[in-house]
Amino acid sequence: MRRPIAVLVTLALVGVAGTVGVTTLLLNRSDAAPAVTVQRAHKGAAAPSFKRRITFLVVGSDSGAPKFGRGGAAAHGRADSLHLVVLDPVKRQGIVMGFPRDSYVPIPGHGTNKVNAAMSFGGPALLVRTFERLTGIHIDYFALTSFDGLTDLVNRVGGVRVNVDMNIRDHVAGAFMNKGPQRLSGARALAYARARKTVPGGDIARSRHQGQILIGGLATYQAQVAKDPARVMKWLAIMNDEVQTDLPIREQLNLALFARTVAPSWLHNVVVPNTTGTAGRASIVRLLPGAYSLFARVRAGSLA
Amino acid sequence: MTTSSGTGQPATSGPPKAGPLQLELKSAAQGPERGFNPKTAAQRATPDMERFIRRYVTAAFLDPGQPRAGWRDLLAMFDTPVQRAARRDLESLSLGTAAAQVKTVRPGRARAAVMFLYQGGRPVGATVKLAFDGSADVEQGTGPVRLRSVFQLLRTAQGWRIVSYQSQTGASA
Repeated sequence: MRRPIAVLVTLALVGVAGTVGVTTLLLNRSDAAPAVTVQRAHKGAAAPSFKRRITFLVVGSDSGAPKFGRGGAAAHGRADSLHLVVLDPVKRQGIVMGFPRDSYVPIPGHGTNKVNAAMSFGGPALLVRTFERLTGIHIDYFALTSFDGLTDLVNRVGGVRVNVDMNIRDHVAGAFMNKGPQRLSGARALAYARARKTVPGGDIARSRHQGQILIGGLATYQAQVAKDPARVMKWLAIMNDEVQTDLPIREQLNLALFARTVAPSWLHNVVVPNTTGTAGRASIVRLLPGAYSLFARVRAGSLA
Repeated sequence: MTTSSGTGQPATSGPPKAGPLQLELKSAAQGPERGFNPKTAAQRATPDMERFIRRYVTAAFLDPGQPRAGWRDLLAMFDTPVQRAARRDLESLSLGTAAAQVKTVRPGRARAAVMFLYQGGRPVGATVKLAFDGSADVEQGTGPVRLRSVFQLLRTAQGWRIVSYQSQTGASA
């Protein structure tokens, strides 16, 4: 008899408890004030904008690279890699114009000579003046690096993505790579930038490859900064170590932030029309009329 | 480097009584490869940045005088070229127009990750990832306020200034 009573008591308790529980839940549900929406979702963004064209002279020196046994100061060596980069932020266009280092051009105060000699005569300032006089294009800033600078820069950012445009087997430059997109280490990027002896197109191909490395560097930067915006500061720190420039910090930061928005496809990579020749016993490169037409088009605002 | 503190009571001028802003700040630094101690550099630059971030959160969410003043103190934290854009984007950078309905904002936690850039032995730039959560009382009840921002900063003669931002506010921020 005692067992059925215990069962009944238990059932009654469970029933009471259940009723109380359900009632509490219902009461709680009806009493709890739902969180109100104080502010709807909003998104906003802004970055430095440029209303004018920006022009850089990007220079690779043959000096100032102890790791490659090249002494002296980069700024007083020969400018062996030369690119005039013009960006039009409004039209969203840009051009990377490569100049063969042996281009035979007037150098202010030094007659006519190979363009790469201008920097050894008067540093980056004379090189800039030489280019401004040659092209009629105002240059805002220069950026100068060396073999050491390029290889260190590329290694420190984790390599650059470059679309290699031909199979290369160049023992002189140490370039051995297949056509296609790939991530190049510092040493391989330098080798790609230097290869010319066995490369179809020689100097012209080399200059085009150097432009590809610049554009590949931009794409690499953008991919990294998209993942982590703080990488902007890392890139600026590395650039400050490996590249000499006359850009003040405000402009460096503004340009780095602006560069996030410059699609690599905006940039037209060209080598100025030229032909080989001689001056005395020296082998040189002469710019063709097409080069001057190109400068005129750029001056007039056409970068496509 | 990580700092966490609840000092820096919001500079409210009105009736709201809210607790102190809890800010957890992690910082690091980038600089020259040689002769540069990132840890020491981050430590040196952090207190000033912490003040800047506190001022920002206070102006954007906690100071009821800001909307009436046209968000003057908040906008002054932006570099001149982006101030117009910041005024346009006030809804995503601050309490925005919701401030008119808000009686009180209670700050929850703010978390910031800062990467400083050093040049010439001093901080010249910084990236700040900022998350702020709080709650606000309005006529209808209480709801969350949130901010998720990435700021790029330049050190100017007047102090830190925001030169670029990506920012979200609201429940889904």
